[in-house]
Amino acid sequence: MYDANGEDVFVIDGHVHLWDATEENIKHEGGEQFIQCFYDYHTGFTPEDEQWTLDEYRKYGADRMVEDLFGNAAVDMAIFQPTYLSDFYEEGFNTIDDNGALAERYPERFVNNGRFDPRDGEAGLEELERQKEEYDIQGVKVYTAEWKGDSKGWRLDSEDSFEFLQKCVDLGIDKVHPHKGPTIRPLNRDAFDVADVDDAATSFPELDFVVEHVGLPRLDDFCWIGTQEPNVYGGLAVAAPMVTNRPQKFGEIMGELLYWIGEDNLLFGSDYALWNPDWLVDAVMNAELTPDQRAEYGTELSIDVMRKIMGENAAELYDIDIEAKKREFRDDPITEAFGLGDHYAGAGAAAD
Amino acid sequence: MSGSQPDRSPAGPVESDAVRDRLDRVTDPELDRSIVELDYVDRVTVDDGRVEVALTLPTAWCSPAFAWMMAEDAREEVAALSGVTEATVELREHMHAREVTHGVNSDSEFGEAFPDADGGVAEVRATLDDKARLSRQHAAVGACLDAGLRPEQVVVLRRGDLELTDEGAVFSLDGLHVVADREPVERYLAKARATGHVIDADDRLFLTPEGEPIPVGRFDVVRKRTRLAGVNMGGQGAVCDALNDARRAKLDRS
Repeated sequence: MYDANGEDVFVIDGHVHLWDATEENIKHEGGEQFIQCFYDYHTGFTPEDEQWTLDEYRKYGADRMVEDLFGNAAVDMAIFQPTYLSDFYEEGFNTIDDNGALAERYPERFVNNGRFDPRDGEAGLEELERQKEEYDIQGVKVYTAEWKGDSKGWRLDSEDSFEFLQKCVDLGIDKVHPHKGPTIRPLNRDAFDVADVDDAATSFPELDFVVEHVGLPRLDDFCWIGTQEPNVYGGLAVAAPMVTNRPQKFGEIMGELLYWIGEDNLLFGSDYALWNPDWLVDAVMNAELTPDQRAEYGTELSIDVMRKIMGENAAELYDIDIEAKKREFRDDPITEAFGLGDHYAGAGAAAD
Repeated sequence: MSGSQPDRSPAGPVESDAVRDRLDRVTDPELDRSIVELDYVDRVTVDDGRVEVALTLPTAWCSPAFAWMMAEDAREEVAALSGVTEATVELREHMHAREVTHGVNSDSEFGEAFPDADGGVAEVRATLDDKARLSRQHAAVGACLDAGLRPEQVVVLRRGDLELTDEGAVFSLDGLHVVADREPVERYLAKARATGHVIDADDRLFLTPEGEPIPVGRFDVVRKRTRLAGVNMGGQGAVCDALNDARRAKLDRS
């Protein structure tokens, strides 16, 4: 647990990956460009002494991931978000099965999300059933700009997509995490336009939509949608590490998000291994709005607000009982492995 | 389109500094900042009247449509300089470097260079220009408020009430003159015009995101939406800056 001057903060990292971008796994130049671009994001927003080499970054493996997340107790739990990119990577970039193998080693610590792609048709619907059966998934990550053959992307509000969203409802998968990040291909269309979330969220009020990367660089469109749709949330991956070298911008973005989306609808995510929570959590927890920002937005990053963003909101969405988890983590395998007993020693006593 | 004006200065040898000054007019459409300021211009080569400009963007994945707009605008601006007989651009280190470089230099349409695109870049440009209009309006209205104008006065201002003078942006209100900082108002006007707004003296000066007059009761929410447009562009600018630094460090090393 994060210790904020004596106050415990239970941290659920809402966005992590276990990926493989080794040269052997790359089958299209897009795969190489993709990891190179990720690496630029990594070095661009990571303090120099925390940066990895590109080789480390291509594939880090399960053991290192566990140590990075939990070794210094920066994170208490994490949610896997798969990214397939099967046209670029032989065995996929970051699949539910790779993630699932690790999640099954520490089921008390991980939530393993699935994914769908409506262009997969009937086989895709069956695959979604398999994911539910094998991993009992509660949520899915969707990547609307993924290439597939001649197609360079799809929309969440398309007829095919609605069929899959209905399937999610039927299977009891009620969290959808659309990736809405920087504009890339396909060409002149904006693959990460957030307008499709609006229609989907209105049409499926029983689903919750966590817009990953808060729509950057469409923060304005995202906020305008989020303010009107109660089942739309913002995932802070990519926005969070701006705290290190662009604290002013980070403050402005948080101010806008708290104003339009609200403190109950924002979820922290490191996007690991894009960034490592072992330093990022501390950086975000130490962030403050400037006096000007506090005046402009009429809010601040108080301990109560940060508790919600860093863990409580994700716990609410994913039905995680934080107090029960604290008790469980007093002596679970991760706590044993990293000697974290002291972090959770007080847990339970303070429980209701 | 940037609508570049021909340069009327006397003909003489083309200076690379003059080329850079001219390129300062080209903006990254997503950030509404100059490509020179953003450090996208790698090199300017001048050989008599022939000018070649090399650009590197923050990532190889930058939207091809954005890359196209910047390359096209850069070529147009340079070609408008006096003494330039031939202007070419080279887009480097981009997944579609070849298509963009070849397409722009041969005066092709975006759709010809990218046959699987769904049309031109005009719509994308219009969307981004409109966001830039809002962001600039935020700064311009801020200048008006700083100068002492009240919200109910700001919303009814018309283009004809404003004059840009050496003194600043001068607003006439029932015989009263209020002087505001000129620069943000001038920048706003340029983008408003480029998006087809605030053309005639009778036109309202400031507008809602949808391009309508602002009801006084909506002043606050419009103000917050224009602020948000600016924060979005600034936030993305920070992302691009960091990517650009990271990428250049890597490219220089290799």
